[in-house]
Amino acid sequence: MAPPSGPRGGGNRRPTARTSRGGVSKHRAAVRTDRDGDVSMGGPTPGSNPPTGPSGRGNRGRGASRGSRTSSRLAQNLKSYVEGAAGHGSRYAKTTLKILGIKNSKAASNPDGGVKSLLEFIERKADKDKKIILGRGTLEGDYVWVKANKDDVASIMRLNGYSYAGAPITIEETTEPFPTGSKVSKEAADTRQKLIAVLAKRYNAEQKLLDLSALGTDDILGNLGTFGSQSLAEKSFKALMHLAGTQYKTAEERKDGIQSVSLARNEISDVDQVFTLAYSLPQLRRLDLSNNKLDSLSKISKWKHEFRWLEELYLVGNPLTSLTGYATEITQWFPCLQVLDGNVVRTPQEAAEALKAMTPNPLPQLPSNLRDGENNVASIFLRAFFQLYDHDRPALAAQFYDADSVFSLTATPEPGREVDWKSYLKYSRNIQKLGGSRNPAVVQRLFTGASLIAEMWKSLPATRHATLDQPELWLIDCHTFPHLADPSGHGFAMGLMINVHGQFEEADTTEDLFGTRTFSRSFILGPSKAGAPHPYRVISDQLTLHKWKRQAAVTPAVPAVAVAPTAPVAVGVPVLDEATKAQLIQELSRRTGMNAQYSELCLSGTANWNFDLALKSFEEQKANLPPAAFTASA
Amino acid sequence: MAYVDDTNTRCAADAAAKFVSWYYNQINEAKGISQSYVTNNETYKNAGHPPADICVNGLVCATPEDWEKLLAQQRDAPKAATDKKHVRYLVDTYDTHVINADYRFGATQNLIDLHGVNDGVRMMIMINVSGTVYFGVSMGNYDEYAVKQHFNDVFILVPNWDTLGKGSKYGKKFLIASQTYRAY
Repeated sequence: MAPPSGPRGGGNRRPTARTSRGGVSKHRAAVRTDRDGDVSMGGPTPGSNPPTGPSGRGNRGRGASRGSRTSSRLAQNLKSYVEGAAGHGSRYAKTTLKILGIKNSKAASNPDGGVKSLLEFIERKADKDKKIILGRGTLEGDYVWVKANKDDVASIMRLNGYSYAGAPITIEETTEPFPTGSKVSKEAADTRQKLIAVLAKRYNAEQKLLDLSALGTDDILGNLGTFGSQSLAEKSFKALMHLAGTQYKTAEERKDGIQSVSLARNEISDVDQVFTLAYSLPQLRRLDLSNNKLDSLSKISKWKHEFRWLEELYLVGNPLTSLTGYATEITQWFPCLQVLDGNVVRTPQEAAEALKAMTPNPLPQLPSNLRDGENNVASIFLRAFFQLYDHDRPALAAQFYDADSVFSLTATPEPGREVDWKSYLKYSRNIQKLGGSRNPAVVQRLFTGASLIAEMWKSLPATRHATLDQPELWLIDCHTFPHLADPSGHGFAMGLMINVHGQFEEADTTEDLFGTRTFSRSFILGPSKAGAPHPYRVISDQLTLHKWKRQAAVTPAVPAVAVAPTAPVAVGVPVLDEATKAQLIQELSRRTGMNAQYSELCLSGTANWNFDLALKSFEEQKANLPPAAFTASA
Repeated sequence: MAYVDDTNTRCAADAAAKFVSWYYNQINEAKGISQSYVTNNETYKNAGHPPADICVNGLVCATPEDWEKLLAQQRDAPKAATDKKHVRYLVDTYDTHVINADYRFGATQNLIDLHGVNDGVRMMIMINVSGTVYFGVSMGNYDEYAVKQHFNDVFILVPNWDTLGKGSKYGKKFLIASQTYRAY
């Protein structure tokens, strides 16, 4: 074990007797004392308990726990995942903390006012077992503001009253808003207001026109001195454009709000000076550049690739209009341009064609392509799969998975909406994000073996997939391929690759989230080992959850059912084997309290082994059922 | 409990990383990809391997060159203002599974002896890639001009025996035996 580390060795003795240097010595006291400051328990909170803080590190050196077997590590990993799912609801929740006392510390003279070393100090001292990471701190007045994980707050608060660099620190939790990092000075805010006033004055709501002509003669801008020099004028224009672009919440509103801009009479000699207009208002429809000093095409060519929807452009009064052929050239640059200097250069139809020629065309979308051999293995498998996945995942794992099956999932949330994906993100095996094979998660997040997979599925939210009888909701491609290993150990076996795109309803009760998710899931099926319930098994199951909805246009005009390959999915009674039926009966019986005989009747009747329908018809007929229909306990 | 050997898992992850970065770079730059399909590999051809199965948005392409043509057709924008890439694939996520750790089709006995089952070489692997494809581009602010779609590509890769023997030439360690593509 570690040697006793100074006065801390005394266990629970209160350190009140030692007032001068309270006695909590740093475990690496010899180094870096100056930057970090001393630690002492004294002063403001003499009665607080001695921290169990960072005394002896013990033998928990690196590498001591290496070498455990992969399988047990996987199991352990899974266990902690599952426990984590129940216990740590606040993993993403942040709390704002205010820390007082840095101004009196020795570290206050550091270049950053001591913020960095204070936060490092807290990260190091707060918890000896867990690494605590704080957000970026901001010094505002006498306080350092910082965000911390909710889980860590308790351990951080223990440091309340500790002495840091010679001064006691006070930590408090606060609900006040975090001070914004970039402080806007009063003058800047003032200027901003004036520029917005300029925009407001020059905006014509009726014509949806932003009239920025002759800015040099503007009173407000003149008083601000923004046109004192060329560079100042360009900067002012940038600021104006930025403000104009950010007055609208969405690109759509902006497009509707400002359709025309006039930059006439501004002595512009190169559009470079006003280039940001293209970024702020890319969807502009009318632009007036008349009476400027543009003298060649190259002075306007920087906008060649922008303003794709520009319909009218005025260049009269510029030297370049005397150049021959400038109109043809300009027309080519802007595909939607229909009026140049008041002359019609394109019809709307021509404009639409020109725009189309300018943009690439996504490949056409064909319906599901099922090439799964003569036995419709894919259709039968998928029917059984999604039904069982929705209703009885352990049974699914037991039926189609064996000790060598692998499963993993990846989730790609919308940026900023990670919370909605919490239940999945901790398992997400996105190798790109994990940074390659060196990350242990690449091994840990790969679930091998039916039991491990079933265990892991338990912690995923409940799902309801759409029925395969609605082909418009699904895209399924599959084909056979050769040269899988034969389970007998000799020779090759055929495999079946199935790639499914669809959506499911989700009820995430741990996070209280409900909604629809879109997914892609690919399976590799291969022959089973001897004694398995089905002739084929899942070798690999890979689930990708994403935010994309299939656009309506993708659904082909021809109904998908009419196309031959999809027929096996769309028609006929679902072929369920006895084992699956037994599972369904059992599940229905469990959910409704009916006995097995009535459950079977209910399922095999009009419901035609559709679990949801069966459940529905039960709800309808519930009152009419005889008592004998229910199991004794119900 | 049976477990997939770590070496295979890690090697598959590395192979996937290399493959994904190479493949999407090639198609973004409008460069060829057909040489990395088993269809165009002499060793596989001579051993009697069927052509690579390529299924694009539900359409089966007989040869990798057909797929290249489709990609070219998709890129086609005769009047595009820029020389920049008109179609860009950005990978958001990929994942890989080893689906046969003891792949031996077309391999010589030497190669089988040289690379053990747990060496992370003789593997058939499945790679699942998802991301965003942007159609159209401007000089700066792409998003306002581009049409965006989601794409999903599932590959089955098999070892390229030509590069795995002692003293054999450099090159890609895996070839594409199957590809299923969807963009919507």
